[in-house]
Amino acid sequence: MEFAYYPGCSLTGSAKKFDRGVRKIFSMLGHTLVDIPDWNCCGAFEYGDKRKLMELSGENLKKARDISKDIIAPCPACSRNLKESNEDSVFRVYNPIELFTREFLSGLKIERDLKGQIFTPYYGCVLLRPKETAIPDSNVMEGFVTNLGGETAGEKIKDRCCGGSQFFINKWATERLSRMIIEKSKGIILVFCPLCHMALTTFSKDERVVYFTDLLLYVAGERAHI
Amino acid sequence: MNERVFELTGYRREDFSVCLGCKICASVCTVNDLAINVNPQDILLSLFMGKAVDKAHPLFRYCTNCYQCTNACPWGIRIPEVIRAVRESLGMETLFERVFKGSVGIWGRVYEPYIFLKTGLFLAREGYLRYMPRWTGYMSFHLPKKVKIKTGS
Repeated sequence: MEFAYYPGCSLTGSAKKFDRGVRKIFSMLGHTLVDIPDWNCCGAFEYGDKRKLMELSGENLKKARDISKDIIAPCPACSRNLKESNEDSVFRVYNPIELFTREFLSGLKIERDLKGQIFTPYYGCVLLRPKETAIPDSNVMEGFVTNLGGETAGEKIKDRCCGGSQFFINKWATERLSRMIIEKSKGIILVFCPLCHMALTTFSKDERVVYFTDLLLYVAGERAHI
Repeated sequence: MNERVFELTGYRREDFSVCLGCKICASVCTVNDLAINVNPQDILLSLFMGKAVDKAHPLFRYCTNCYQCTNACPWGIRIPEVIRAVRESLGMETLFERVFKGSVGIWGRVYEPYIFLKTGLFLAREGYLRYMPRWTGYMSFHLPKKVKIKTGS
């Protein structure tokens, strides 16, 4: 299947690893991601003018028109803004994590299991809120880990806020919120958001924070280590 | 100012008349985890009553855009969007927000090296540089690409 791909600003820079992971997985599953030409910033959460935010993502939808009606945007802020702008539902906008169902991933060649390993799937805010743009299944990562024999922890903190949006404003606030999550986690923390990854990594001690895409690549034998 | 907030959010004044003060938004607010007591309802009430919003309200400084309040609210009021609109209408944007918008204005995208350069003094003063060893995995260099945005505003 062919998808229009919206990488967004962070995936072309600080979250390049996340971008490479998403592209690789879709390629391994036989799907084609076609970059939306000259895509522009979605505005994230930095604008108080909702109309301006909708216009920014509306422009990206227009740019995707000739590629596909199915759009993939890995960054939760980007997928949320694109979903909000898609008012007349002309497009189907997905954050890739909502496609990673058992059926969708059944084409992934499993080379390793996760027996004896423990993970804390962490979704954070934007994937789960507000309801209108939330992913439909908030147990995607748990399902994948347990199907491969791994254990999961951290049910109570999976939807708490890491304070990522305060990261370059009130560092102490992000540190405090991120530490609360880290301290209640067990094993490797799995994330699907560039900002969560950065906040939790910055304020972790020895805890490891890994994109879920990298776990998928590890079990598929594409990575030697998680 | 209040009219400007309604204009920016798309809410109407009467949309906030449904808020009955159940304070569920206050009980779930992430800012509580920072040991700061907040009640988002204060802001909605000021807007509804046509009163001046208190600029010193902690939510204008600490709201994390987590939308816990919105999900809990019986009416689904998008309080983080109201807070952002008040901040924008009162010129309370942070350095990061200004630089972010500056980058979008120049290139149509956020160019991270530009953000880093423009906020460098702030980052150094606030002690962010000690995290640099942890940020090596985030560093990659690419030239900025300028793209067009045909928006009305």
